[in-house]
Amino acid sequence: MSVGLDSAGRLLGPTRRQVETVRRVALRALVGDRLGLVLWLGTVVFLSLYFRVGFFITDNHTLANTIIALADGSLSFERATFGSLESPGTHLVDGKFYGRNYGQIAFAVPFLWGLRGLATVADPGVAFASIWSLLVLALGIQVGRLRNRPALGATVGSAAALACFAANVAVAAPIQERLFPIFALQLSAMVATAFVGTTLYRLVARLHGRRIGAAAGVAVVVATPIGFWGSVPKRHVYVAALVLGVAYALYRSRGPVTDGALSATGFRAVAYALVGLLTWIHAGEGFVVFLALVAVDFPTAPSNDPRTLAVVGAAFALSMLPFFATNVLISGDPVTPPRSFVGYGDPESAPGFGGGSEGSGSGSGGTSGSGGGSGSIPLIGPVVAFASALVAEALWLSSVLLSPLVEGVSVFSDDPGRLYRIFVRGGYLSSVAAEDSNQAVYMTVAESAPLAGGLVASVGAVVLAAGGSVDRLRRSDRPFDALVGRLEDLRTTPVVAADAFAVLAALGFLLIYSKRLPLHATVTVRYLLVVFPLAVYGIARTPPLRRAVTTHRRLAAWSYAGGVLVGAQLFFTVVALRSFGRGEAFQLHALVGLAAATLFALFAVASVLDDRADRATAVTGGLAAALGTDFLLLSGLVYYQYGSYALPLSDALARLLGGV
Amino acid sequence: MDRSTLLVYATAATIVGVTLVSGPAVGLVDLTSPRFDTSGLGQGTVTVDRVEPPDRIVLGGSFQSESYRLQVPDTSVTLSDIEGKPILTYWVEIDALGYNRVSTYFLDESNEGARTLSVDSATLGGDDVTEDRYNATLSLVVRANGNETTVYRSTVPVEVTS
Repeated sequence: MSVGLDSAGRLLGPTRRQVETVRRVALRALVGDRLGLVLWLGTVVFLSLYFRVGFFITDNHTLANTIIALADGSLSFERATFGSLESPGTHLVDGKFYGRNYGQIAFAVPFLWGLRGLATVADPGVAFASIWSLLVLALGIQVGRLRNRPALGATVGSAAALACFAANVAVAAPIQERLFPIFALQLSAMVATAFVGTTLYRLVARLHGRRIGAAAGVAVVVATPIGFWGSVPKRHVYVAALVLGVAYALYRSRGPVTDGALSATGFRAVAYALVGLLTWIHAGEGFVVFLALVAVDFPTAPSNDPRTLAVVGAAFALSMLPFFATNVLISGDPVTPPRSFVGYGDPESAPGFGGGSEGSGSGSGGTSGSGGGSGSIPLIGPVVAFASALVAEALWLSSVLLSPLVEGVSVFSDDPGRLYRIFVRGGYLSSVAAEDSNQAVYMTVAESAPLAGGLVASVGAVVLAAGGSVDRLRRSDRPFDALVGRLEDLRTTPVVAADAFAVLAALGFLLIYSKRLPLHATVTVRYLLVVFPLAVYGIARTPPLRRAVTTHRRLAAWSYAGGVLVGAQLFFTVVALRSFGRGEAFQLHALVGLAAATLFALFAVASVLDDRADRATAVTGGLAAALGTDFLLLSGLVYYQYGSYALPLSDALARLLGGV
Repeated sequence: MDRSTLLVYATAATIVGVTLVSGPAVGLVDLTSPRFDTSGLGQGTVTVDRVEPPDRIVLGGSFQSESYRLQVPDTSVTLSDIEGKPILTYWVEIDALGYNRVSTYFLDESNEGARTLSVDSATLGGDDVTEDRYNATLSLVVRANGNETTVYRSTVPVEVTS
């Protein structure tokens, strides 16, 4: 459309409409609907409360050094602006230093440019507070519109935004520009985390309505460690967001009637494209998600005709291009990602899966992989190079990627206690604590997110349902035909695909990290961070649990509110009075959390059997969620004060509370 | 345009306006004050009159952990004749455990009078603590005008309880 040259009035007309269309399409594609937008804004507003600008973990130095290079158009760096060149994840190739997780860093580069641009017109110490206040304003407006009270929402939002802005400016302190690289990485992590909440909301809302969807979207951010890693630029929140995106796209590609802009095949292509992007962040995890997707997608797809597969394959290939390009530029080999290089520096940065904080687990696989690829390839012709790259890929996949999955099974069967130390009770594990400054700061899945206890009921409900099916099959005249019919029903039910993908992805992550967990510097078993949103998904998929929170909505909400308002203060008081150190405080949270998880699990299982337990399930579920929030607030404001807070008011509050 | 919409625009305009006006491009006001003014730091004088170290330091077992918690009670001092911005550092060292902690105080005139000095508590590995008793050295060092002067040093017993 040609935007007219005639008059200003006519020029404004179509332009405004176009802007409106773009806004609507973007809203739809990114967050789904207005409730999704509210969740997105709410997540960012919440995470900002304890956003500390700084380095939480040593390999963040590597990422910060890499983003400086990438923002200037280079993959490599020559000196460590932050930390040392021996930070985990820094690799030396042909005399140049490279980082890792390039996909994550590329996503953060625009944030760095934005910060630098902003700093030319605004004081960085004020700018974050003003943007945050504007987000509070936007949140007020959107909530008002959502509840059909636009005037009230706008008024309350304005008042809150002005008050927040004034209070923050009153105590504002400068933010050093040299921290911009890590600040940008953290901002991008926060945005990714907001998409974890909204994507889970969209998936669950499609299945069980917007109310349950919103509850899941809120819970995953405020009641699980997703909120803990929300402003820490490790790969995990990005991976979690992408895995949920894959699950959502997979479901939509099977959906009853697609009412969206994309066809079923389009959604299927999106699912694979997201895996490609994930591979750019972390090749090993990308491969696990790819396996889970293929294992579910192909058997359950309505059709696998060549045309569909061509579209899906093309989208996948396209999405893998950044990954291949990065690898070619670094090693000359498209399939050898930065992580597979023989470790540079300390043995802790050895190649393979994971954060690179422990080498022994996967050293063998990683080294053999990179041996297959790099080195001689640039000398051979491109065609041969491509062919040998394919061979190298096959070798790499089998040795590096498949073996950890297979080994994972034997690791757990040899030592089932490992599962207990990952999921139930950690406590003081001397080998882990020794690397964590003798502090028992390792928490299991249930300890860090007591809400996950509800999964016991999910398993119970599945077992019960399966038992019912078996009974029916037994009673039928032709059990074999009935079984085939039943399986065919399951295969063509869209939600079964999403469920199966969630289970397989979670299992895949568990298996590849089997040898390394429990591990120091993971705080909340962060390698399995993706398991938390999948757990919330599982809980939301469990009918008795949905019934319990729907019938006793108020009870659950009050129980949560009480658990946060009273609980957080109790934790703080005990920690202060007994002058607990960080490890001791963590163990206090762990024990109370485990108790709440156990209670919730018990009542939730009871709810599966009998709805008279629903009341207790709602109360204990609210409490379990509250304990997750208490941990986020106290760890964010008290236990880990590793940098000055982006919000000046939070900085003042943290000073008042003191550290441990 | 109704009243609430006006309010929204006014709010946004205020926030953006204040931010721009205080920014480097306009620079009418500076709204951020550094938490520490470091100009002239380390230049000046201070007299440390009275020092009251803790009688003993307890190295106790810790909650749900096989490690020890070291908590050093505060030391009281009286400071006088502060000129400029001298730096006072407070050291706690236990050589046998390879442990040392230091707290740094940037002083100015407002700090004259009675003050308490403290160091953060620490966690020590269970295997590292083998004796029942240790000795800690507490010292106060004034850094001013390029000189470091140890103005106080004493030994305090560390008792291990479990």
